[in-house]
Amino acid sequence: MKIPVPFGCRAAVRRELETSRELLYRMAYAWCHDAALADDLAHEAAEKALRRSGQLRDADRFRAWLLRILANCVRDHARLRRGHVELAAIEETLAAAGPTPEEAQASAQLALRVRRAVGELPLGQRQVVTLVDLEGCSYAEVGEILEIPIGTVMSRVCRARQALRERLAPLASEALGARLRSVK
Amino acid sequence: MSEEHKVSDELRNAFVDGELDAAEWARVAQSMERYPELREEVGELRLAKDLVRHAYAVPPARPRRARAAAASGWRSIAAAAVAFAAAGWFGHAWWSPGAGLDPTSAYALRGDWHALRSDWRTLDGNRVLVHVSSGEPGALGTALDEVEDLLRSARAARRSVKVEIVANSAGIDLLRADASPLAARLAALRGEFPELGLVACGQTLERRRASQQVTLLPGTAVAPSALDQVIKRLRDGWVYVRV
Repeated sequence: MKIPVPFGCRAAVRRELETSRELLYRMAYAWCHDAALADDLAHEAAEKALRRSGQLRDADRFRAWLLRILANCVRDHARLRRGHVELAAIEETLAAAGPTPEEAQASAQLALRVRRAVGELPLGQRQVVTLVDLEGCSYAEVGEILEIPIGTVMSRVCRARQALRERLAPLASEALGARLRSVK
Repeated sequence: MSEEHKVSDELRNAFVDGELDAAEWARVAQSMERYPELREEVGELRLAKDLVRHAYAVPPARPRRARAAAASGWRSIAAAAVAFAAAGWFGHAWWSPGAGLDPTSAYALRGDWHALRSDWRTLDGNRVLVHVSSGEPGALGTALDEVEDLLRSARAARRSVKVEIVANSAGIDLLRADASPLAARLAALRGEFPELGLVACGQTLERRRASQQVTLLPGTAVAPSALDQVIKRLRDGWVYVRV
């Protein structure tokens, strides 16, 4: 039997969804690297979340709950396409983010190169590392979102960072020269 | 096999991600003080983490949505949210999204200041960039203590020095004239030491200003992003300390 959803709960989910719009899109984008697809996935996740608002038991877990729905949307999408989500051509349409065009461009270039490195990771590693780095999710939360054991979260974090370090090494040494002192 | 190798990959990453309990954290921090290689490696992991965060801070603009059904989605959610907000149904959001405390930097690594102090005399250029991304008052207080100490000891020794504080994420509060518990102290310090610079992260500011009024301390510069500023300074040979 379906238990009626308390009105306030659905409304609360609506409200939170509105503030989570950027979060959903950014994370979807980080996972699929395709702006149009990311927008679709974010929408789909938001609509599902709204329909299932009664399932949210603990308001403090809203973010994990929502991201889990998004992860499921990504999984369904990948299944439909009978393969993993492929990295689309990375768009060159970064919003200008700096006071001078040169600075904005350098910043955008850096972001593009890092995204490319992230895009080369297998989807599972990409999801783990972006949840941890972009959203500051704890390992436990990531395990909950992706429905994987925490040991898997840790090994994926290790492998992803190792790969990123290797791929970003030229970038880092170019950016920092030999000057990254061991003070940090 | 040296002790450094006892700090596993998992442990190093968990350290960077703020996943360790106090005892484990102390053990890694202690090893880091002892082994420069480990320190460097943790630094690289942290840089990778920062770069990833930076890379998606401003994702590409959403495409214009063509599908009519989909296009109505956010609007209806927005309309409902506005309606309920207007009705006063909810006093406060019970979940706040976004930045919050940066788990990688919610600590002041003892080794950082310690190493900086021991290296202080041999540093080239005497230019130090202090990166603050934690809003934790204790960490901010410690950072200011250390900065003041550096400035005073340099002046006493008649050494020229330049210190810049760059703040982002929750750390931006340090530079807010309207919110910083340390604003008066920071302003006084700047008055006394013109060689102290303050820089706020443009991206953090933009996000904050979308929802609230933010007034920065007078004389605070704004960089495109904290990471840009860090990289620029490192390129110029500054020493980097993260709080």
